Amino acid sequence: MLSSLYALNTELDGRYATDSELQTADQFLDSYTLRLSTYRKIQVLETHIVQQVQTRIRQVDPEIMVYDNRDVSAICERDMLYVLRYSAIALLINGTDLLEERVLLWLQTIMRSFKDHQHRSDLTYRILQEVIQQYLIPAEAALFLPVLELNRQFLGMS
Amino acid sequence: MVIANPYQNTAKLKNPKKHNHYGFRDFFQFDTERGIITDWNDSQNVLATEDFIIGLVEGLEEEVGDASAVTMYTIGCEWGQKDAFFFEKWFQKEFDRNLRQTNLLFLLETWWWPFTSQGWGRWEVDMGDRKQGFMFINIFDSAIARTLGDVGKPVCYLYAGLFAGFFTEMVKKQLSCIEIQCYSMGETYCKFLLGGQDRIDAASFWLNEGATAKDIEKRLRAGELLR
Repeated sequence: MLSSLYALNTELDGRYATDSELQTADQFLDSYTLRLSTYRKIQVLETHIVQQVQTRIRQVDPEIMVYDNRDVSAICERDMLYVLRYSAIALLINGTDLLEERVLLWLQTIMRSFKDHQHRSDLTYRILQEVIQQYLIPAEAALFLPVLELNRQFLGMS
Repeated sequence: MVIANPYQNTAKLKNPKKHNHYGFRDFFQFDTERGIITDWNDSQNVLATEDFIIGLVEGLEEEVGDASAVTMYTIGCEWGQKDAFFFEKWFQKEFDRNLRQTNLLFLLETWWWPFTSQGWGRWEVDMGDRKQGFMFINIFDSAIARTLGDVGKPVCYLYAGLFAGFFTEMVKKQLSCIEIQCYSMGETYCKFLLGGQDRIDAASFWLNEGATAKDIEKRLRAGELLR
């Protein structure tokens, strides 16, 4: 994880790294090729993924994209794209700190402003996990699904 | 502390339409050459230490005694009123929308985010009693209470004034605010009551009599006021 490598850099003040510190770095480097290929796959497919999620959500709840008699699908699509992009970065660097700091903490409070937000977000980020599994091989999904689940926990649960 | 600044945040210039700009690296821009910290809304920020906060609160107490609470509240009021105008400007610019045509909770959450980034703590607004003419605001991690620690009395008069000033401007109706529970009283978070002067006077009286925040909530919801 890049953030761990950075922390290692600051922590190793006049000493060599311990075995467990080196193991963490090794694990990150071992998985990096897979992380990069998954990241690129998401980058290419993001529009397909988001549109498919929108279609599936509407099948489950046809009224979900209507808020105060207004079609909010463009806003939902924009937010989902942002979340997906930041999630992909979190996957690449194997660290969710920036995802939380830059998006989730903020979006969580903003979503609270809208009634029925938990149901909407829970459904959205649950279906996103289902849809994305169609595009990823199991090893890629194993790396990415925990990040997507974090989104659901932040935005879809109280 | 925030003052007007003519220089623009370069992160904002790169991505002006971004709304999730409250992370430390996005919200603040550190200009080391001029020694200036600018935020996303082009205000100049000044970093203050906990010693500064202690100095401000204790120094004021030494100068004016019990009137320090009113002084801090009044400073907060003026700050809140000014910030309401400032907020109106940046909100309209960022969202291309008038304040009055916006979901109220969304508006309030958006107003408080710069304060969260600046270290004033996270908040939670309880508007369940809005129709009865009052509401509650919880502040987690108040900069003042966190700094002063458990001193056995409410200390966040600046926040109470800030809410009173801001909301008075927002709803164009005179509102007051009182802290009815404080981290500095050994509680886990601070709680503020916002409403008309009659309700705040009643809450203040009950508080002095030893009522807890829960008692006050209960009495207000039951429609009690001072006679």
